[in-house]
Amino acid sequence: MHFEGKQQINAPIETVWQHINDPDKVAACAPGFKSLEILGPDHFKPTVAVGIGAVKATFTLDVQRVDVQPPTHAAMVGRGNAAGSGVQLRAAMDLTPQSENVTTMSWTADVTVSGTIASVGARLLEGTAHKLTARFFDCFREHIEAPSAAASTTPGEGPGEAQSGAGSETQSETPTS
Amino acid sequence: MTTPAQAPIHGMGHSVKRKEDPRFLRGRGRYVDDIKLPGMLYMDIVRSPYAHAKIVSIDASKALALPGVLAVITGKDLDAAGLAWMPTLMGDKQMVLPVDRVVYQAQEVAAVVATERYIAADAITLIDVDYEPLPPVMDPMKALQPDAPLVRPDREQKTNHIWHWEAGDAAKTDAAFNAAEVVVQQDLYIPRIHVSSIETCGCVASFDKVEGKLTIYMTTQAPHAIRTVFSLVSGIPEHKIRVVSPDIGGGFGGKVPVYPGYVIATVASIQTGVPIKWIEDRSENLQADSFARDYHIHAELAAGRDGTMHALRVKTIADHGAFDAAANPSKFPAGLFSIVTGSYALDAAHVEVDGVYTNKPSGGVAYRCSFRVTEAVHTIERIVDALAQQLNMDPAEIRFKNFIPPDQFPYKSPTGWEYDSGNYPAALQKALDKVGYQELRREQAEKRARGELMGIGISTFTEIVGAGPSHTFDILGIKMFDSAEIRVHPTGSAIVRIGVQTQGQGHETTFAQIVAEELGLPVENITVEHGDTDTAPYGLGTYASRSTPTAGAATAVASRKIRDKAKKIAAHLLEASEDDIEWADYKFQVKGAPGRAVTMQQVAFAAYTNHPQGMEAGLEAVDYYDPPNLTFPFGAYICVVDLDRGTGEVKIRRFVAVDDCGNIINPMIVEGQIHGGLTMGMAPALFEAITYDDDGNIQQGSFMDYLLPTSMETPAWETDKTTTPSPHHPFGAKGVGESATVGAPPAIANAVVDALSHLGVTHLDIPITPWKVYSILQEHGIAEA
Repeated sequence: MHFEGKQQINAPIETVWQHINDPDKVAACAPGFKSLEILGPDHFKPTVAVGIGAVKATFTLDVQRVDVQPPTHAAMVGRGNAAGSGVQLRAAMDLTPQSENVTTMSWTADVTVSGTIASVGARLLEGTAHKLTARFFDCFREHIEAPSAAASTTPGEGPGEAQSGAGSETQSETPTS
Repeated sequence: MTTPAQAPIHGMGHSVKRKEDPRFLRGRGRYVDDIKLPGMLYMDIVRSPYAHAKIVSIDASKALALPGVLAVITGKDLDAAGLAWMPTLMGDKQMVLPVDRVVYQAQEVAAVVATERYIAADAITLIDVDYEPLPPVMDPMKALQPDAPLVRPDREQKTNHIWHWEAGDAAKTDAAFNAAEVVVQQDLYIPRIHVSSIETCGCVASFDKVEGKLTIYMTTQAPHAIRTVFSLVSGIPEHKIRVVSPDIGGGFGGKVPVYPGYVIATVASIQTGVPIKWIEDRSENLQADSFARDYHIHAELAAGRDGTMHALRVKTIADHGAFDAAANPSKFPAGLFSIVTGSYALDAAHVEVDGVYTNKPSGGVAYRCSFRVTEAVHTIERIVDALAQQLNMDPAEIRFKNFIPPDQFPYKSPTGWEYDSGNYPAALQKALDKVGYQELRREQAEKRARGELMGIGISTFTEIVGAGPSHTFDILGIKMFDSAEIRVHPTGSAIVRIGVQTQGQGHETTFAQIVAEELGLPVENITVEHGDTDTAPYGLGTYASRSTPTAGAATAVASRKIRDKAKKIAAHLLEASEDDIEWADYKFQVKGAPGRAVTMQQVAFAAYTNHPQGMEAGLEAVDYYDPPNLTFPFGAYICVVDLDRGTGEVKIRRFVAVDDCGNIINPMIVEGQIHGGLTMGMAPALFEAITYDDDGNIQQGSFMDYLLPTSMETPAWETDKTTTPSPHHPFGAKGVGESATVGAPPAIANAVVDALSHLGVTHLDIPITPWKVYSILQEHGIAEA
């Protein structure tokens, strides 16, 4: 799956770049964010919960930042596994100053999803991925523009649900006897 | 001795109610998952999310820390025991668990053994497998290109090509095409479909360390063949292995192969000495078990301008997935696909099939298709219609013109088969009369003038079943005979044990009827046993409509051996010469003196109490029947469809099925087989297909996306019959289990194409979904909004 998009952020390019360089702030916007392990300046292990329809999975990702050109360009490659599913991703982002206080962020992402999430959720996969990506960048923009209000718009609390009411995180766990 | 009031014999031709049904209807069937042995442990399987990947590492520490988890088994463990690979029934080999790479999505990667089923299910989510994804190849045409990823680097041949197989006469066929006035060509794709039996696969493996004996209760259609293979692979002597196939909730071909789960559970039980149960869940069954069809066919038909067919040329790419784990007879890697000349008298034919590996689960299993006959029949029945359409002839007329004439049987086909008997014009005429063909054609013309879309489709198929004669048919060298063993008890009841195995076909009733007919014993006094290798005679199992043609024949022949001995005892009881005794009206009587007679019951009692001096006591016989030829059931199906211009939905208004399966044992069971088969033929025609995306993800991973027909989609089938006995079968039967699955899809496809033919539509690949039809209607501007 290939995604791309562009958005304007009402902040100077330096502010945006600082935000991007803070892995905790980036991770906080990841839909379904659960935890982050920092292995090095450009090497991270986030854990995120994703749900597509009735299928839910917690992915442990291994992400590396590559091709960092402050303050205009960064890219990342990663792959991750969940029980029965796998994901590979490659994303790039470019920042362009529009004015002193406005920055344009354009991004592309290529994502390959394998396993149960892709096979059982096939019909919902692309739409869900679009929705989650959009939500990530919306959250990101809002955090930069209004850092004080960040807590109220953080989507990283529950699993990254595509459908409301499709089940809570506890229900997604396999029942134990 | 006094004879108790005689219960009715109810032999051949009686609609005896199924003896197995009372236990099924009362929930008293005993399926594999009903088996609970003391101390039994449960196994679950970790499966690959990738279609093609290297396994970097497997970390089971978190799973092993879960209370109740006793063991995690990986490919490396099996490899140490020399069991990471196993042979397939097609002479290929297949991974049980991978050592370093996976080759299809949902492939088995590791197994967990735990004290409870749910703990095992939890534990598989705790196993961390680090994969390094590799590019998969999902399209067999791409797989044949030189730069394609190699699915099976373990093989000596560094190619995805598995085998090439052909039948017929290429030179003669080419000559006929060069001389032909008309040639029609058609590409057809028969998609991958899945058996989806109600019961998934599973087993309970139980190794007794004291006795050194392995007992495996498993969902298998061929218990004896499994026992032999397990013995050869494991080194356990064959008498120390018992395979029990209990009640089976549908097989349809999907329960012939050996799946890795059976082997892993067996290894786990041998190592622990404790029974291990493994039962697939529904998603595993749908995503990982062997698949059917997946044939990419190019067909050409040479004919005269008057519609006389001369020659057929067919080239096929067969997608077999990552392992050639089909269960065809060894000399027939493409099954009996060369029956593709069908019911028509052709001068020449040439058929080529190439098997190809892709990153999909094993393909090529039969799915109620008589070893690839569905594919063959779809090809010929579609292209005959294409010829009729090109020549502007009626599809019934072109069939009558080209049928093998009834007086030409036995008929030698251009691909080498000898059709035993047939009367194709009679079956088609009966179907045409029953459906009211001319009236329907008038109605169609009127509707077409009003813009309504209605179509009539015909399929006049020839089946080929009853594999098979030992000179040509074997599986891994084991000849495809089948067997029966009959013991008549002193009071005149009997037990029949057979080498085939029922999965719902009604063997416990029909095989009792064969014995009832041959021995004159009441059907209710005859028990049929099957599926336990410790007690049943050796046989190759039930699939490809072979039970009645092979084991049914063995049952009749064994009965006749008993009757021969019984006749001697009857002569002794009647104080007459054996030459003066005749078998009539289910009794032995003295010729010309019908009052002097004894029943089989009386003879049976005498066999144990008053047998002639010098004769062995008892009354029993065994027969291993090697059929002299295959049998060739046939039929004429007519389907009437209405297309919904608003939704593109195909509505089957009527479906007339005239079948000829030779002499019938139980008409009710035959009708049931045909009803089920027609529904299973409608399914791939309109609903079912398994597809994969380019990354190797199955797109129909649940029944939300893999559409099985329900009673809502199923029309009221109209069935009828003609009877043309098989001349070589002991009681003239031919087999019927798969006729309808084989014959129905082209009747439906032909009906839809017929409904759209005035728009220039000449072909539609199955499944013909509403979307496909609606797209055509939109293209022609006649879709209703």
